[in-house]
Parts: sequence; structure tokens; C-alpha cells
Amino acid sequence: MGEKLTRTQQKNLERLGGVNPAEAPIPRRQFLTQVGVGAAAVGAAAGVGVAITDPWGMKGVEPPPPVRLKDYSVALAPSRPSLVVVRATPPDRSAFDSPDAEYAAREEQALTMVRSAMQEMGGVEQFIQKGDVVVIKPNVAFDKNPDLGATSQPDTVSAVVKLCFAAGARKVIVCDNPINNPESCFFKTRVGDAAQRAGATLMLPKSSYFEPLYVGGETIKDTWSMFYAPFKEATKVIGISPVKDHNLCKATICLKNWYGLLGNPRNQFHQDIHGIISDFAKMMKPTLVIADGRKLLMRNGPTGGSLNDVKQSDAIVVGTDHVAVDSWCVSKLLEKQRHEILYLDKAIDRGLASDWRPQWTREITVT
Amino acid sequence: MVKIRRAYEALALGLFLFFLLITDLRFLKGWPVSWFLEASPLVAVATALTTHTIYRNLFWGLVILGITMMLGRVWCNWMCPFGILHHLFGNIGNRRNTKQMIEVNRYRRIYAIKYYILAAMIAMAALWIVPALYNAPGKIAEAYDEAALARAAEGDSVTTFSQVFGLSSWMIGLGLVALGGYAVLRALGIFGPGRLARVPISGALLGVIVLGLGIGIVRAGVPETLSAVGDGLGRSVEASRRGNSTLQIGLLDPIALTVRSMTTSVLPSVDKATEGVYTETREYWFAWVVGLIFLGFLVANWFIPRFFCRAVCPLGALLGVFSRFSLWRIDRDPVRCTDCDLCLKSCEGASDPHTDLRKSECFVCFNCIEDCPHDALQFRFLPRKASEVTGPALNRRSLMLAGVFGVLFFPMARLSGGVKKNFDRRVIRPPGSVAEDEFLRRCIKCDQCIRVCPTNVLQPALFEAGIEGLWTPIMISKMGWCELNCTLCSQVCPTGAIRELSIAEKLGVGPFEAQGPIKTGTAFYNRGRCLPWAMDVECVVCEEVCPTSPKAIFTRNVEVTDRWGGTLELKRPFIDPEKCIGCGICEHECPVKDDPAVYVTAIGETRDKERSLLLSLVEDPSLADQLMA
Ligand code: SF4
Ligand code: SF4
Repeated sequence: MGEKLTRTQQKNLERLGGVNPAEAPIPRRQFLTQVGVGAAAVGAAAGVGVAITDPWGMKGVEPPPPVRLKDYSVALAPSRPSLVVVRATPPDRSAFDSPDAEYAAREEQALTMVRSAMQEMGGVEQFIQKGDVVVIKPNVAFDKNPDLGATSQPDTVSAVVKLCFAAGARKVIVCDNPINNPESCFFKTRVGDAAQRAGATLMLPKSSYFEPLYVGGETIKDTWSMFYAPFKEATKVIGISPVKDHNLCKATICLKNWYGLLGNPRNQFHQDIHGIISDFAKMMKPTLVIADGRKLLMRNGPTGGSLNDVKQSDAIVVGTDHVAVDSWCVSKLLEKQRHEILYLDKAIDRGLASDWRPQWTREITVT
Repeated sequence: MVKIRRAYEALALGLFLFFLLITDLRFLKGWPVSWFLEASPLVAVATALTTHTIYRNLFWGLVILGITMMLGRVWCNWMCPFGILHHLFGNIGNRRNTKQMIEVNRYRRIYAIKYYILAAMIAMAALWIVPALYNAPGKIAEAYDEAALARAAEGDSVTTFSQVFGLSSWMIGLGLVALGGYAVLRALGIFGPGRLARVPISGALLGVIVLGLGIGIVRAGVPETLSAVGDGLGRSVEASRRGNSTLQIGLLDPIALTVRSMTTSVLPSVDKATEGVYTETREYWFAWVVGLIFLGFLVANWFIPRFFCRAVCPLGALLGVFSRFSLWRIDRDPVRCTDCDLCLKSCEGASDPHTDLRKSECFVCFNCIEDCPHDALQFRFLPRKASEVTGPALNRRSLMLAGVFGVLFFPMARLSGGVKKNFDRRVIRPPGSVAEDEFLRRCIKCDQCIRVCPTNVLQPALFEAGIEGLWTPIMISKMGWCELNCTLCSQVCPTGAIRELSIAEKLGVGPFEAQGPIKTGTAFYNRGRCLPWAMDVECVVCEEVCPTSPKAIFTRNVEVTDRWGGTLELKRPFIDPEKCIGCGICEHECPVKDDPAVYVTAIGETRDKERSLLLSLVEDPSLADQLMA
């Protein structure tokens, strides 16, 4: 420090005790930490950079890893039927003084019917154990009154929810991805209310609930977006479906019901409707399917819209194999030629399921 | 007092936001969610001008008007959610010291703009008065002649209107024209004779008119004239009602503006950030424009406090006009007052409490009373008239120009023909909407219908419905569809632009069987894009989702030779226009997404006979039978 200092500068120097801190050497500690931390930061940044480099820009467009659906099916004792048709005389409308009373009676009846069917197959415990998380997939595709037969009956849904809880289920999730507005569908079909009153959790399709699902089928060769969130914790899956006509594929029952889990643009599958429906036999192995044949939509499917299209009937069909249940319903309830329904044949030909057989089928009547 | 006011503000804003949030299919359970819209006096007054009726709950606006006539503009600082938002925003952005605050809260001339806006909008809403007055003499004569003929049937001799009024109508007419011209010239300041000339000139003109009237009435008979005038005026108003006014107050009415901005811009943005408002995200056509305007008004508070309320708000202007009757107001005790101007520090309305109060500008916030160190201000019953500025400070010439602008704007806007000859195929109004002309006289662009629509199909129009129809609801079927069993929009519309409907009426069932379902438009196929028509590919998603019974879309099986010479069995879709209700779900679900192969346009909508498509529906044979029976 050869240069001359001004008066003020000199005073400053004195105040500091004669040492100019600006000229003191850097302490070794400080040098080491600063250089060390700096180098580490540069190194880390470079490391992160290298780790996420994507020279072809392909990582950014990679879809998340596909999920797969578990096999939810249960094996029944060979002596038990795998398909049970329960019949009961429908309650007479005029015998009740309020719609609520009639509804309660119908719900009571649905509960008895489903329970007796399961009894035939070895009891509810065969299907639902303590601690199970059950996903129930009704068909609430349309914003319609349940009497029009285009959607699952609320009483059947609540009956099944109650049965699950009675058997010790921890949680029951009711979910569907309808065609019409989800809130109004669950509201108008009364399925939402019935399920919630029975204690189930409703899951409406939010866009974040969809994930790519690996199917590996004939029409969905690898993956398709699916309403997967409910299945994350599921241990059992039950499908509850109406029995109805469909213009393009001829019948909507249990197998077609899984269509409601697909994400958009699912409309494209109409270009190969039978292929996609038969793929469901590969995609989904349900614990149980229930075809509610008490109200049959015979014409103008799948939306219906007129009571004239609905036929009152008396059967609920419960089974472990959706193809067998559909096959039974088509010929015995919908009065159609069994081989009109190409997707059933397709699924059977592909070895994914089997047709119904008298020896595995039992028909019972309850009161 | 100020504490009580704050509690009211919190309550009002809270209630408004609560109503806004529950305007959703999931929570809407008979709550009066449109209350704030119905309570806006501007909505009540303006729709009464255009429709000559008070719809459903709009009397609430008159209640608020009544309160204003007692207490002044309490609405603006105690109840108006937009006002309260401005209050909040102004406080957040405030970096001024006391002195600057006092300066910024002084009255400025630009605060009169709102009255000109109001004048222009009211002129548009009340334009029917011009043709009604213009045609009135003719209609009165008509009424008189009819009555005279009826009297003749009882034996009197027939005297026609022109016989008895021949001379006097000339006198009245010339007198009126001269008087009107004179008044206009004076208002514009072009022709300003001295004080002395003013009285004799107007006196002479008035004399001519009165004389003419007198002669006519005496010759025609007093009771006969009176009934003919009443009758004729009524007829004239009725005849000019249609097609002669438009409702534009919603552009700036604070409640409509807030509900609209919240619906199409703020709530969807909140949802985008949190995924917490809707089950499915909503998207709105040009939402950012609405959002920017809203934000712009809020940010303006940082430069001029309560800029919107003080300078723009037509509702504030209306209340300002009516507040002149109010019995209570802030009064200054000139003896106690030391002219420190501290009362201006947080004056919300810029109403000059430090001198003679500008009553029409005061928001009755009571801040000045709180801020006065000498207790010189009070809220008093019937204070001295001399210490107030009763009416708004207006420039007559500007006011007239604003009115003239309003009067001219409407015909200019209508001339495009968008309402009649050249109506747009995209203007598909929600079910229950009244015919387009009436719609434009009722819709306040509050977008409450858009808020409640569960499928996102309702969208704020840009210029599809002409400049008059800015932000009115239209259905864009690519965004959603009209849910078959839903009439929510008709339930929340505060003004009856969408009439309240029952499901039965919408579907045309039960008692509405004969009238048939409400159609919002008709679907058409673009066979050049439809898969089974153009590309030999199976599809008919449209047919599947069509919700009517029987379905409006039907299919025909065809066998075609495919490209390779093989045969192919295909279902090809067709529309049955009689069954199609224009709900748009086919368009929404069609896999040809960008320009769907089936699309809905407005033609065939049942709200206006002139837009019907099918003869069979206009001349319904069953209706004819009923009429014959
Ligand atoms: S139609 Fe919609 S935007 Fe217009 S007034 Fe009614 S609810 Fe408001
Ligand atoms: S959904 Fe679209 S592409 Fe498919 S048949 Fe209908 S109009 Fe044609």
C-alpha cells in the first residue's frame, strides 16, 4: 500500500485499529468452503443436467409407465354353480302408498335376490373378505330416470354395497365415467344417492384419475387411457349392469359395461366395436358380475328414453364370468339370436372366457 | 359505525361468493343464487324499460331503490360485491400518505362520465319511446275513429278524428315542432336570446299548442278524447315494442360484470391452479378478454381509488340520481369545522364532505365522520338543503350527446340483420330462451346460465350474435352438449331471457304433448367427413348418444363395394329433423373432432316461428284438430 491516503481515509484506518480489513488475506477455511461449495454446486448442476439430457427429445414425450389391472377373480368350489339366475315376482306398484316405500321394498328384494344367488355359489364370504376394498362399476352412462332401463338400478347397487360391508369390506368405491355429465348422471339415475346412503364412496372421473392401462388385446394392442384411480387400492371388483339393447353391438350387458372405464377418445372404438368389447374379457377379470334383468330395455338402445321400450322382467343374473352371464341374458331375456352378438363369440374363440353351460348354471326363485 | 359497515361488507361479499360457488348442479338446492343480480336496481329499471314488466324476483331491485331514496347510496359501500372488491383492492395497493390521500379523494370532473354512460344505455333501452310517440297521433286518431263508429251504431252521427281535429292538429304539430327545435338549440347553446326574449317566445309557442288542444278537445268531447288518447298511446307503444330497443346495461352493471368475470374467467383460472372448483375443468371462449377487463378495473383502484365506482358504474349513476330524494345524509357543521380537510382522507365516494356534500356521489361509508377530529360531521335526518349539492354535476350538452349516441348506436347495431334476415347459424340459444329480439331485450350478459351449465356447452358469445349480443350465452356443441333432463339455466336466469322451464315442457311430454319438445336447433351431416359415408368405416357414435326416444338419428344398412372389390356391410346415419332437438351431443361425441361430421345449427329452433324448418312442425295437425274441435 504505497499510495497516499487522504485525511478521512487515514481517520478511518485509525478507527479500525490500523489494519485495513480489505487487505487482510482470505482465511483458509473460507477459501476452502467457498471454492468447495461452488465446485460441488457446479458438479451437481452438471450431474442433474447429464441425468436428464434427452438428445432426441423423446424422453419428454414418453408416456408414464402403463398400469395393469390385477386379476380380481376368485375360484369357486367345483360343486358350486358359477352362474345363478334368481327370480322373484316384482313388487306391485299399487300396493305402496309412496314411491319411497316402493323403493325400499325393491331394495329389500334386490338384497335378498343377490344374497341368495351368492349363497348358492358358496356364500358372500367366498367373494368378499374382511378388509377388502371393493370397486363397484355400475352403468350410469346416461342422465336418465332409472325406470327407463338405460342405466343400472340404484336398488341393486345399494344392495350390493350393503352386502359388501356386511361381509367386512373396508371400503366400497362406486365409479363410472358416463357419457353425459357425471354429476347429473349419478343424480338422475339415483345411483349416486343410493350408493352414498349405503356407505359407499363415489368417485367421479377427474382428468387426473386417468392413467394408461396395458391391455395387449386385439383392438387395444398395447395401452389406452383408463379411469384407474379407483383400482389403485382395489382388491375386489364387481360389475353391475342393466340388460339392454344396443344399435351397433346389439346388446349391452356386463362385458360392454367395462367400456365406461375407458378414457377419451373412446368413441373411435365404434369402428371396431366387437373387437374392443371382446378385449374387455382380457382386460378385466372381475370378482363378480351382476346383470339386473328386472327392467329390460328392448329397443332404442343404448339410451332408451321411453317407458314403451322397457319390459318388466323378474330375474337378476349373478356370475363370475361376464361372457357366460351375457350369453345367458341375450338369449333368455333380450330375445335375440345368441350368435348375433359377435363380440361374445370373439371372446370365446380367443379363449378368454366360456359360454354358459347348464351344468354350471342354477336357477332359483325367492320370494 | 365504520365497524358495523365493515361487518356488512364482509357479509355481503361472503354471501356473494357463497352463492357463486354453489351455483353448481352439485350444491344448488333451491338457494336464491341469483339474488345479487336480482337486487341490482339497474337491472330492474332497465329491463322494465325494455320489457314493460318486472320479471319474477326483480322487484328486489326496487326495494334497493327504495332504500336509496331513504338513506342514499348505501348499496355501493355496504352491499355491492364489486364495490367491496374495489374497496379491498384500493386498500391493498395504497402507498399514499395522508396528504396524498386527501388530494386523491377530491371530486374530479371525470366522475360525471358514469351519468353519460347511464344516459346512453337508458336511451338504447327506451328507444321504443321514439317510434311510439312518432306514431301516437295516428294511433290516437285510429282509436277515436273506431270509437266514433261504435257510437254511430247507437245512433250518433259519425265525426272522424280528422274532422274534429283538422285545424287543431296543425296548430299542435307546428307548436310542438317549433318548441322542440327551440329547446334543442338552446340546450346546445347555439341560439341563446337574452332573458327577456325567452319568456315571450316559449309562452307564445305554448299558447298555440294549448289553444289547439283546447279547440280539438272541446269539439271532440272530453271523455271521448281521453279514452282515445289512452287507447291510442297503448296501441302505439305495443306496436313499437318489438325490434326497437336493446339492453346493454349488463356490459357495465357491476353485478352482471362481476358474475360474468367470475364465471368465465376467475373461477376457471382458480380451478386450473387447484383442480378444486369443478369436477371437470371448464373452458370458455375468449375468457381472457373478460378477465383482463375485470382485472383492469380492479387495478385501476391503485391509481384512482374506486375508479370504477366513481367514474364508470351506471348503477352508481342511477342510484346517484335517486339519492337526491334521500332523507338522511352527511352534514357538516360549519362552525365546528376548521377546514382541515381530514375528512377527505378516506372518503370512498369523492363526495366532498369538507364543503357542501355532493349527495349523489356519497357512498355513505361514514369514514369522514370517523376521521373528523372536531366532530363536525354527522349523519342527519333532513339537514339544511343549502349545504348540499343535490344533483350530479352534469354538462347538459354532453348528456344530450350521450343520449343521442345511445339512440343512434342501436339502429346501427341492428342494421347488420343478425336478428332477422341474416341470423347466424352459430347463435344456438339455450332451451327456454325467448325469441332473439326479446332475448336481446332481456339478457344482461351476467352469464349466470353459463355458470350453472353442467356440461360447459354454454359459452359467452363474442360477436356471433352481433355486437349487441356480446357475452350473451350461446351453445358451442364442441365444448359440451345440452343435457336432456336439465333446465338449470332457465332456473337461474334473473331476467327471463331464458324463461323458467319444467323438464316436462322441455321434453314436450305430459301436458306439453301437443306443443312438442323445445328445439334449440337442428343437426346436419357433413357426408364428406362422416366415417361411414366417406371412408367405409363403421361408426354411428352419434346415433348411440342421441337421447330422444325414438332417436332422431337413425341408420340405414347398406352394402358397399369396398376399395378392394369386396363387399362391406355399413350403417349410415341420417337425421330425422322432426325428432332432432338440437342438443348437440352427437356433434360433441363425433370422433371427427376438429370439424365434426355432424353439427348443429340454429335453424329449426322453436323459440321463433320465423326460424322453423319443417312445415309439419309449424302446422301441427294435432293442434289444428284441437282448434277445429
Ligand atoms: S340469459 Fe344468461 S347471461 Fe343472460 S341474463 Fe339470463 S342468466 Fe344472465
Ligand atoms: S359420429 Fe360422426 S363420423 Fe361417426 S357416424 Fe356420426 S357423424 Fe359420422
